[in-house]
Amino acid sequence: MSALPRILIVASALLATLTASAAAEPLRIPVLVPITGFLALEGTSQRNGAELALRGSGIAFDVDDTATSPEIAVNAFERALTSGRNREDVIAVVAPMLGTQMLALVPLADEFSVPMITVSGTARITELGSPNVFRFFPGDVVVKAAHARYAVEERGAKRPAVIFQTTAYGQSGRAELDRNLAALGRPAVFAEGLDVSVKDMLPVLSKVRDSGADALLLHLHSGPTALIVRQARAMGLDIPIIAGSAMHQPETAALLTPAELAGVCAESGASPISETDPATRAFADAYRAAFDREPDAFALGQYDGVQMLRAAIRAGANSAADIRAYLAARRYRGLAMTYASDGKGNMAHSAVILCYSGDSRVPAIVKRYENLTGIL
Amino acid sequence: MLGAQLALNAVALGAAYALVAIGFVLVLNATTAVNFAHGESVVAGGFAAVAMTAALAMLLPAGSAIPGIVLLPGVLVLTALLGLAIAALAYLPIRNRPPVSVFVTTIAFGIIVTNGLNAAFGAAPRAAPALLGTGTIDFLGVTASRQSLAIIATAALLIGALAFVLQRTQLGRQFRACAQDPEMARALGIRLTRITLLAFALGTAFAGAAGLLLAHQFFVTPSDGAGLILKAYIAVVIGGWGSLRGATIGAMLIAVFEVGVASVSSQPLAEGLLYVAVLLVLLVRPDGIFGEPQRLRA
Amino acid sequence: MSPDRSPLTRQSLPLIAGGGALAIYALFFASSYDQRILTLSGIYVIMVLGYQFIFGHAGALSLAQGAFFGVGAYVTGILASQFGTGFLATFPLSIAGASLLALIVAVPVLRLASHYFALATLALSQLLLLIAVNWEPVTGGANGLPGVPPITIGDWQVTRGTQLLLFVWGLAVVAMLIARWQRNPLRTAMFTVMRDTPLAAPAFGIDPGLLRLRAFMLSAAFGGAAGALFVHTNRVVSPEVLGFGIMITCLTMTVVGGRLRILGAVIGALLLTHLPEWFRGLDEYYLVAVGVLLLVMVVFAPDGLASFVKPFRAVRAPIGTPTRPGTAGRTPPVAPGLPALEISGLSKRYGGIQALDEVGLSIGAGEIVGMIGPNGAGKTTLANIITGIARADSGAIRSAGLDLATATPTAIARGGIARTFQTPQLPDGLTVRDVIETAAANAGEAARDRARAAGAITSCDLTGIADVRSGTLPHGLRRRVEIARALAGGPHLLVLDEPAAGLAAAEQAEIADILRTIAAAGPAILVIDHNLEFLRPLATRLACLDAGRLIADGPRDDVLADTAVRAAYFGLVTAAGGAA
Repeated sequence: MSALPRILIVASALLATLTASAAAEPLRIPVLVPITGFLALEGTSQRNGAELALRGSGIAFDVDDTATSPEIAVNAFERALTSGRNREDVIAVVAPMLGTQMLALVPLADEFSVPMITVSGTARITELGSPNVFRFFPGDVVVKAAHARYAVEERGAKRPAVIFQTTAYGQSGRAELDRNLAALGRPAVFAEGLDVSVKDMLPVLSKVRDSGADALLLHLHSGPTALIVRQARAMGLDIPIIAGSAMHQPETAALLTPAELAGVCAESGASPISETDPATRAFADAYRAAFDREPDAFALGQYDGVQMLRAAIRAGANSAADIRAYLAARRYRGLAMTYASDGKGNMAHSAVILCYSGDSRVPAIVKRYENLTGIL
Repeated sequence: MLGAQLALNAVALGAAYALVAIGFVLVLNATTAVNFAHGESVVAGGFAAVAMTAALAMLLPAGSAIPGIVLLPGVLVLTALLGLAIAALAYLPIRNRPPVSVFVTTIAFGIIVTNGLNAAFGAAPRAAPALLGTGTIDFLGVTASRQSLAIIATAALLIGALAFVLQRTQLGRQFRACAQDPEMARALGIRLTRITLLAFALGTAFAGAAGLLLAHQFFVTPSDGAGLILKAYIAVVIGGWGSLRGATIGAMLIAVFEVGVASVSSQPLAEGLLYVAVLLVLLVRPDGIFGEPQRLRA
Repeated sequence: MSPDRSPLTRQSLPLIAGGGALAIYALFFASSYDQRILTLSGIYVIMVLGYQFIFGHAGALSLAQGAFFGVGAYVTGILASQFGTGFLATFPLSIAGASLLALIVAVPVLRLASHYFALATLALSQLLLLIAVNWEPVTGGANGLPGVPPITIGDWQVTRGTQLLLFVWGLAVVAMLIARWQRNPLRTAMFTVMRDTPLAAPAFGIDPGLLRLRAFMLSAAFGGAAGALFVHTNRVVSPEVLGFGIMITCLTMTVVGGRLRILGAVIGALLLTHLPEWFRGLDEYYLVAVGVLLLVMVVFAPDGLASFVKPFRAVRAPIGTPTRPGTAGRTPPVAPGLPALEISGLSKRYGGIQALDEVGLSIGAGEIVGMIGPNGAGKTTLANIITGIARADSGAIRSAGLDLATATPTAIARGGIARTFQTPQLPDGLTVRDVIETAAANAGEAARDRARAAGAITSCDLTGIADVRSGTLPHGLRRRVEIARALAGGPHLLVLDEPAAGLAAAEQAEIADILRTIAAAGPAILVIDHNLEFLRPLATRLACLDAGRLIADGPRDDVLADTAVRAAYFGLVTAAGGAA
């Protein structure tokens, strides 16, 4: 062999080794979600979605519990970033969907300059002016607009009643719901907040009935949503019930019989078990096989978010700054919807309304609200 | 009629809370130990029912309904065993030490149970089968769910049986002796350890029964325990520390606020008023509504 | 108490070395995360130190510590995030806010016993939590208020990491110093008396109410301070700071570390902030592991881990040479003309029983009067009324100018009337010297207190066993200590309730000797007993109660010969055939 080919072979081998070792630096995406406490159900969905998206990617992801307090969430964040490992490897963080925890993490993310991707719906987190928050689930601003519009425009509600949870999720959503209902000219005739531990819903439901409401809008967590639906039906309250995203979660539907679910609707970013397109079905099958559970929109949103991260990496991003730039500027076609930042980190701008027919626990998507903010 | 309906709901909820509170007081009376794992014992009972339902469903043809009454003995046994574990691990090793240590050992036990259940079952709310079937019964203009009636009946039966045992039988006398003066009881030949274990087993079994009953109508989540122990504690203290009658009345009081007061005000306000009421009662009756059965003599 | 001398014991050296190593690690080798956890530990140290006052020392099961923490947190959180108020204003305001809350609730709540007190504090905490969650305009509701700035003092902004760590631990050290100052040996002993022998506390001159109030306020102040630092560390304030979880954390740290000692607070806080973090690798089982370890730790060390470390204070040196026997027991003599005790027309009814019926009695300085009568005659009732534990229905009762009918037991004890109890009320853990010095203590008269205590010890012949723990003493010595305790306050009237009961004849004679010596030095003594053999050589005057009425009062031999007395005691039928 002449000299040139030999040189070329050696040179390319060297190049290959160099690029291989550069790519061999393990990138890290810590997954910090609640896996204990009252939000563990949603947190587990987040974790599963992220895990499914990161399989086979070579990216290291450590899952750390954030429980229910901001204190623990900040502990987890600091640990993931500064404890004994190279901070530069962290290109993004999957952050908990609990609003209070996000609010505590934002200043830290800014200080460390690390983007956070989450499926939290709490409006406030993108209003703090941070460039490091990216939410892959429609925020309360979007999803409550869909909620209110469906109730008023599609179901003809004139006197809506609102029951919300006295948690960060609940209070934030309630504020947006009120705003949207008022904008539609149909302010709520009754509204009450419930603690997560309330069991007997008769008192609040009887007040709903007495108020003469013609539609019941819920913004509650999983268990309380199911309790309201069941107890409303049991007492003969037959007005339409349009619930929050907790209703779409398969675990919530599993608590009720199909008969009890008949006519109940819910808002959500998506409903993976209801979709029929092959890609989403493949996702659902893979999720079921991996975790022995039905996927929900939080899992799907987190999955999409992490997939966008992978797209960024494939496009050459290999630092936190690169990721942040990519997320802020580019569009991504995920399974649930197309995502793009509105400049403040809100990536998801579409919502769906799904309803249960009474035959099964799998809801059908009856209305899609695409691009509610006009960003896309 | 709404008032009657609310009253029935309040009685049913109060009955379930009473079962929880009674179990708590039982252990308290026999051992002076405050069992902070009691709330988790209720949750454990609920999940025992859920697990047994799943296991039975595998053996029986698909779609068969399993009445909760079938699960009751199993739940009682399993939670009684849990009670024995609590006694053996969290109480007996330190029974001659300051009572505050028992607070923390039982808190620790509670942490173990809550998180163990969370890891084993997942965080989703779960439902147990109804005791004697679902559906409603209409009478006197009130639509009563069968489960509500079942709760009231079961609680009344269990509490009544306990009262009978404590007042009328030798075993009951031994219980009360241990409560009032453990040293003297031991001197009289009463086997204190046996009574202690029995008290824990029985008290926790009551909690388990309450868990089974609550898990159908109100679902059960691993993190429910904290709220329940709070309610049990309030019921037991407000009624008079150590008084079974007081604990029952205290439980009813809590349910009245949760259901009754909440129906005329808002739920957060009702909860606040409960605490205000508690403070007022303590202002007027510093020893609880019924006072304490045993007093310290000069 | 003697001047505090705390030489470095051998055991404290490894601890100091360990602390030093930790400090060096924290400052130079720790990651930002490690420093954060240590900062949180420091904050909890302050909270637990505060909690130890009310829970450990005063022995009251307070469930309000979380509330005080939360109030402090919200005061700082709201002012700092909404109005930009600086640390030098918000920190004292947080402490003040929490303390004010404690003051407001103290009056109705502190008088409640154990679990009722706990419930009241719990109800209070839950109310505050409800307000924080639902009063959205002010507290931000469940979302809370973000944007709490870092600690700012003038131009200096305390940055996250090393600066914040040092700042927080600096304040923690200040808190430890304050705790040490407040927990001087005398006050610690007073708390022990209050906890272990609550009935006798007034007899020691201790005002339990005041002591508990002080402990409660201190716990609140410390809690509020900790809360303020907490929100600066987390940069948000949200209702979790008022949740039951914080209270449980505090309680657990206190029990695991040790309820009474400063070292316990440090151990508990450090250990329990780090444990959940250490076990994170176990994924969803990590809290199970924490629970197991907690269980094991408390079973293994029910008095707290600090109990394995000997106390740092060295054994106290002896008080100093006692004065001549007997003279240190001298009290300012009762002004001439004022009897040591004057009772007239005293009546007390319990339901259907007339316990005392128009009793009148007068005792002068230096007299030894024996009060005899059969069981149930009302003797102990009389003693209780004299010392303020019970109140008469009618009648007058004065001692050296002090009106006993309306005074509190503590005021009566401090007014110079001491009593002993049928069963000696001595806290097991205190030494004889501790017991007597605690009883001798009077505000601001340290030297004279010490002298009186020394005199009491000598008068009762206790010098040899002064440093023995009361719990190990045999019955006879306990009775002697009880008398010395009563003597230590410098009383002008001693009310002794069966002081020689259960003693052998020789021991009884010893007690009688001691009492005679005491009386010779000034105090009047009222001995309640039905043991005539004991009283005969001791008392020159006897009074006899029967069914609430005073049936005899005069020179000893006359009373003993009195037929009514004999009938009451021995059931003698008189020659004339009248039954007793």
